[in-house]
Amino acid sequence: MVEKVGAVLVVGGGIAGMQASLDLADSGYKVYLLDKSPNIGGAMAQLDKTFPTNDCAMCIMAPKLVETGRHRNIELLTGASLEAVQGSPGNFLVTIKKTARKVDETRCTGCGMCTHFCPVEVPDEYNMGLVTRKAIYVKYPQAVPAVVSIDLEHCIGCGICEGQCEAEAIVYDQEEQMMDIEVGSIVVAPGFNLFDLARKPQYGYGVYPNVLSSLELERMLSATGPHAGMVLRPSDGELPRNMAFIQCVGSRDKQTGNTYCSSVCCMFSIKEAIIAKEHTPGLEAHIFFMDMRAYGKEFDEYYSRAEEEHGVKFTRGNRISMVEEDPVTHNLFITYVDGAELKVEEFDIVVLSVGTEAPVDTDKLRQVLGIDLNTHSFCETSIFDPLSTTKPGIYVCGAFSSPKDIPDSVAQASGAAALASSHISTERNKLVEIREFPPEKDISGEDSKIGVFICHCGINIGGVVDVPAVVEYAKTLPNVTYAEDNLYTCSQDTQSKIVETIKEHDLNRVIVASCTPRTHAPLFMNTIRDAGLNPYLFEMANIREHCSWVHSKEPEKATQKAKDLVRMAVAKAALLEPIPPIKISIGKSALIIGGGITGMTAALGIADQGFDAYLVEKKDELGGITRRIHFALTGEDVQARMNELIDKVKSNERVHVYTGAKIKDIEGFVGSFITTLEHEGEEKQIRHGVVLVATGGAELKPDEYLYGKDPRVVTQLEYEDMLANGGLKEDTKSVAMIQCVGSRNEERPYCSRICCTETIKNALKTKEMMPDANVYVFHRDMRTYGFREDYYLEAAEKGVVFVRYYPENPPKLTVNDGKLDLIAKDPFLDEEIVVNPDVVMLAVATLPNADNEELSTFLKIPLSKDKFFLEAHVKLRPVDFATEGVFLCGLAHSPKFVEECLAQASAAVSRATTILAQDELELEATKSFVVDEKCDGCAYCVDPCPYDAITLIEYMRDGTVKKTVDVDETACKGCGVCQATCPKDGIFVRGFTLGQINAMIEAALEVA
Amino acid sequence: MADFEPKIVGFLCNWCSYAGADLAGVSRFQYPTNVRVIRVMCSARVDPSIIMEMFLQGADGVFVGGCHLGDCHYITGNYYTEKRMKLVRKLLERAGMSRQRFRLEWVSASEGVRFAGIMKDFAELIKEIGPSPVAGDNPDMAKMESLFIAKNILEDFRLRALINKQVQFIESGNVYGEKLAEEELDKILYDALSVEFDRAVILWKTKEEPLSVKSISEATNIPPGRVLNEIANLRRRDLIKLDRIEGQSPLYISQGFEV
Amino acid sequence: MEEEEYEPLVIAFCCNWCSYAGADLAGVSRFQYPPNIRVIRTMCSGMVHPNLVMDALTKGADGVIICGCHIGDCHYLEGNVITEKRADAIELMLEDFGLEPERFRLEWISASEGDKFARVMNEMVEAVKALGPSPYKM
Repeated sequence: MVEKVGAVLVVGGGIAGMQASLDLADSGYKVYLLDKSPNIGGAMAQLDKTFPTNDCAMCIMAPKLVETGRHRNIELLTGASLEAVQGSPGNFLVTIKKTARKVDETRCTGCGMCTHFCPVEVPDEYNMGLVTRKAIYVKYPQAVPAVVSIDLEHCIGCGICEGQCEAEAIVYDQEEQMMDIEVGSIVVAPGFNLFDLARKPQYGYGVYPNVLSSLELERMLSATGPHAGMVLRPSDGELPRNMAFIQCVGSRDKQTGNTYCSSVCCMFSIKEAIIAKEHTPGLEAHIFFMDMRAYGKEFDEYYSRAEEEHGVKFTRGNRISMVEEDPVTHNLFITYVDGAELKVEEFDIVVLSVGTEAPVDTDKLRQVLGIDLNTHSFCETSIFDPLSTTKPGIYVCGAFSSPKDIPDSVAQASGAAALASSHISTERNKLVEIREFPPEKDISGEDSKIGVFICHCGINIGGVVDVPAVVEYAKTLPNVTYAEDNLYTCSQDTQSKIVETIKEHDLNRVIVASCTPRTHAPLFMNTIRDAGLNPYLFEMANIREHCSWVHSKEPEKATQKAKDLVRMAVAKAALLEPIPPIKISIGKSALIIGGGITGMTAALGIADQGFDAYLVEKKDELGGITRRIHFALTGEDVQARMNELIDKVKSNERVHVYTGAKIKDIEGFVGSFITTLEHEGEEKQIRHGVVLVATGGAELKPDEYLYGKDPRVVTQLEYEDMLANGGLKEDTKSVAMIQCVGSRNEERPYCSRICCTETIKNALKTKEMMPDANVYVFHRDMRTYGFREDYYLEAAEKGVVFVRYYPENPPKLTVNDGKLDLIAKDPFLDEEIVVNPDVVMLAVATLPNADNEELSTFLKIPLSKDKFFLEAHVKLRPVDFATEGVFLCGLAHSPKFVEECLAQASAAVSRATTILAQDELELEATKSFVVDEKCDGCAYCVDPCPYDAITLIEYMRDGTVKKTVDVDETACKGCGVCQATCPKDGIFVRGFTLGQINAMIEAALEVA
Repeated sequence: MADFEPKIVGFLCNWCSYAGADLAGVSRFQYPTNVRVIRVMCSARVDPSIIMEMFLQGADGVFVGGCHLGDCHYITGNYYTEKRMKLVRKLLERAGMSRQRFRLEWVSASEGVRFAGIMKDFAELIKEIGPSPVAGDNPDMAKMESLFIAKNILEDFRLRALINKQVQFIESGNVYGEKLAEEELDKILYDALSVEFDRAVILWKTKEEPLSVKSISEATNIPPGRVLNEIANLRRRDLIKLDRIEGQSPLYISQGFEV
Repeated sequence: MEEEEYEPLVIAFCCNWCSYAGADLAGVSRFQYPPNIRVIRTMCSGMVHPNLVMDALTKGADGVIICGCHIGDCHYLEGNVITEKRADAIELMLEDFGLEPERFRLEWISASEGDKFARVMNEMVEAVKALGPSPYKM
């Protein structure tokens, strides 16, 4: 028996690696997060916007970056590589090489003074070389850790940075370091590599200046990019009038060996086309593609909007063979087919939609970790174990197992975290550091005694603002009993000094005037807790980002402003009150709604984490829709795996199965839900801490193509059943398969995602069983994304005939003389095609579960337009709901493959575990509170609350009915929409009350 | 041009070249009257930007004299001079001035004859190439501008840092104790110089009226792609900003050319 | 004399998640803007009571600007949608109080729009300078 270690190594600090780390760290495991780059953030940090919501990538990612950087259970190992792994699941010994950054990470404050003076300029990789950076640098402004590093390839060793560094953080003799760490499991998330465009010289990348890669365009679109968001022609700096996107460059391409689909580029180009049009008046954008793979949740609508609202032009069925250039104007020419016509069009800019490949160090990872790679050098996984590598104890997530977008990567990351921790769950909380604080001092009745600590930040503040003058000024302000300046207020020794000062001067409120509270407030709040103060008796004045850095040419005015900012902070601080922590106890069990493959996997996952799982299925039998799937493209025996799973669920003593059960009601909130079930004729109550929604989906029964009228017309699942059970006649000569039946239409604008691949699977199976039968597939776009593309190719090679149709001209199916006549028009040949199939298979839509609406009211969780459940955030919180303690997975979220459902099931387990692992959950204390004397129960605040956290209540006071509102502190997030709505000063957010904000205003205006 | 009498400024170090000039005098070696000598304690005192200033003030030629390498009274001063003057030649060329108008020589205290000879040669050479294009009543404004820009970028921290480190790099190595090849360092320096010059030209051209990349390129002969890249770099330092967009052309105006 | 030396004071309410972060990025990028701005951090732009804006203006602020996340980006789902509606009401109130419409502004500034933050603050200060001091200034 190996001794298990309650720590996990996460390899790769992109969005997937960060998510896995946060989940694990929040669940009580020590995490080592390794990244070869000097700062974490990965590819997402380079994005301007994300599809399909056009969210600002940095806005949504920055909080995760900061949290990862600050988490006490996460140790960042940047500039590091994996050198050796020994041991077995539960106990691995990992050897890591940390390159010499030449900077002491504990001393560097990220002020950037060194980068300003470094005389060496190098192309900035973060901006795709469109601008320069210095040889000592931080990858991007928001980078974590906010620490510079020296690029030894370019550093000339002049020594200037050392002279500029007030923090004495430059260490030229720092050496490369080897270190060993012990972990219980490993999560691999190294991301992807971009296809090298030099391998497709026919497009002229690197030769014709106006041919860009899609990532170069992305940087141009970014406000932090080379031209502050303007798209400009590299040849002459002019705004383009038109722009072409060439899809599948380095994807779906036999010539380069990258036969797979890169999965994200279609949507990426649509997004870029929309944003480029928004940024460039009059711009026309034209996307040339083979199939539009808008297969994800709400992707198809985004695609439609791009065409209809934004006027992006799409030309289908085109693999552009080359780009030509007019050497004088540097304009570019593309030849393409439009219907049956050959056309040439001139463009100002051509964007190559660059494909993704396995990460550059994939082979080293294979050797060091002992994992298998697939034929495309990505990590080998299987349908039923989508997050496991071939080596036990080592898990994978993100683009390393197949090209994928952000939400799929994030879901996988959470899922991999759950699997990584499941076999070391006995070691939970053993290696994490729990910070103990002294008991809180009661300050009620005391006058405000404010201490002000003003930071020089080396010369970042002190070089512009006269800090000693600000200190002297602060001493004159009301309620200030102490003020001092520090070279670096954030340094470790200053923290101890602050604690001592608070005690010595009996301070009861503290102000730090330094940098931004967004990154530094938590540090100081903990410091004052060490001195026995409530953490909310703290306020910051941002005199760096908002003062010295932006008014560096006006030192006198900057000093005046710094004084004003301190005065404002003092005014607010005097009114700060301690905020008691809101703690709720957590019931250590989960309710899982839905006993399909997703729900069962989730239930086992919860049990593996050491918690009880109540699995509720309305049908009498477990298994759900997967019961009807017989084959897998990759050859697994689906039903055998299902039966295995069902056995595991039934025999697991922590899983309590209720089949044939109906949910009557769910009450309560995170930590303590009460669910009423109707089971075996009895009402039953279950108490549980969290809820996992895995309600699955259903197959559409269509009312077109003679379905239900002619027995030869069947749905995809029915056809699969025929294949498996000998339902297909031996003399079958011809099978027709029609795609998008009931999907991507007005009623159901969404793509059902799985049907194209399922059709390929069935086509291949048909060919295998009846090699002489003709198989025709009538489709709009074949959406066999990722490695599924290889099977599409195989089907084409085996003689399956693919015919494209347009929605305005779908195939027509009629019966003539007992024969089925299927007539379709091939848009490329401009000819009619007639077949007489023996069987017609309809690839029908996947429907949301009919019970979703009822459940959405029980749990106060929203549905999307398509009646699937709507997650908290489409990109970064794919399995969370905005309602705390409720999670979703599988088809309940949107149509998806078994492997994706399983990944989400594990993800929901991971997210749930972050709550279940705690005995008490401490909620963010910044919440609304009601001033009962002021509130007259007008209820104006009830509707605007985005979280439905406010309810109108009545109670008896002094013999009359008093109306007032009640805030559900578990639902409130403290946005303060209520306080700004209230006409009576009856509801406020703690720490941001009208009185506190008003005090700041008056201080700013010096009227108080 | 027979009657052209060039104005030549000579910077001579106190310990060698000035003494050499004295010796020429003591020995009554004759040389043309065109040279006006300025005594400096060390040739390293001659800031490259001073040389540009001399030309801007109407000098037809500038001479710098120092001790022979290894003989410097201040041990390594003239090594610095040597590196710096390389930069001066490059910049003169870039500014469209003949690099022959500038001369650096090591003249020891005992080389009176040589000093007189050099002065004679240099004066004759300048006579032959004629008056400075930026001197006199009708200066070539384009060259004047370039010289002014050259003077400005020589005051820039980056180039000064690079050049001042060169001697140390070659002799005692960098902070990692590595000795770098002179050619490698020259390449870094010249690349930096070329980029800084382009940047300064762009800032200069756009200091009064906002211009597009195309028109900057036409006015400066810097390829438009490079103009665009440098505008991107300058924008990041808040030295140039987008003024407006006219048709398809963004127009930029400089923010920070300090005259 | 007084007129010439007039330095306006503008209160800027910035939401924690986008606009405050945008202001931070302006700092990190060293984009310069006039020192006449006093930022007050709020969790959401939807937290800013219209009375706060009117109070600030009637107590002598020369201008007030509310900055929030772009529509659709709100950390609190749709707090900024409500802010937008309130801004209409604030504009109406300005008239009642005899204040020029330029003294109040609503802007969406994301965490990556440091340059926009600096630009908007420049514009706001310019606009308010052009108007002259607030009539409510003591």
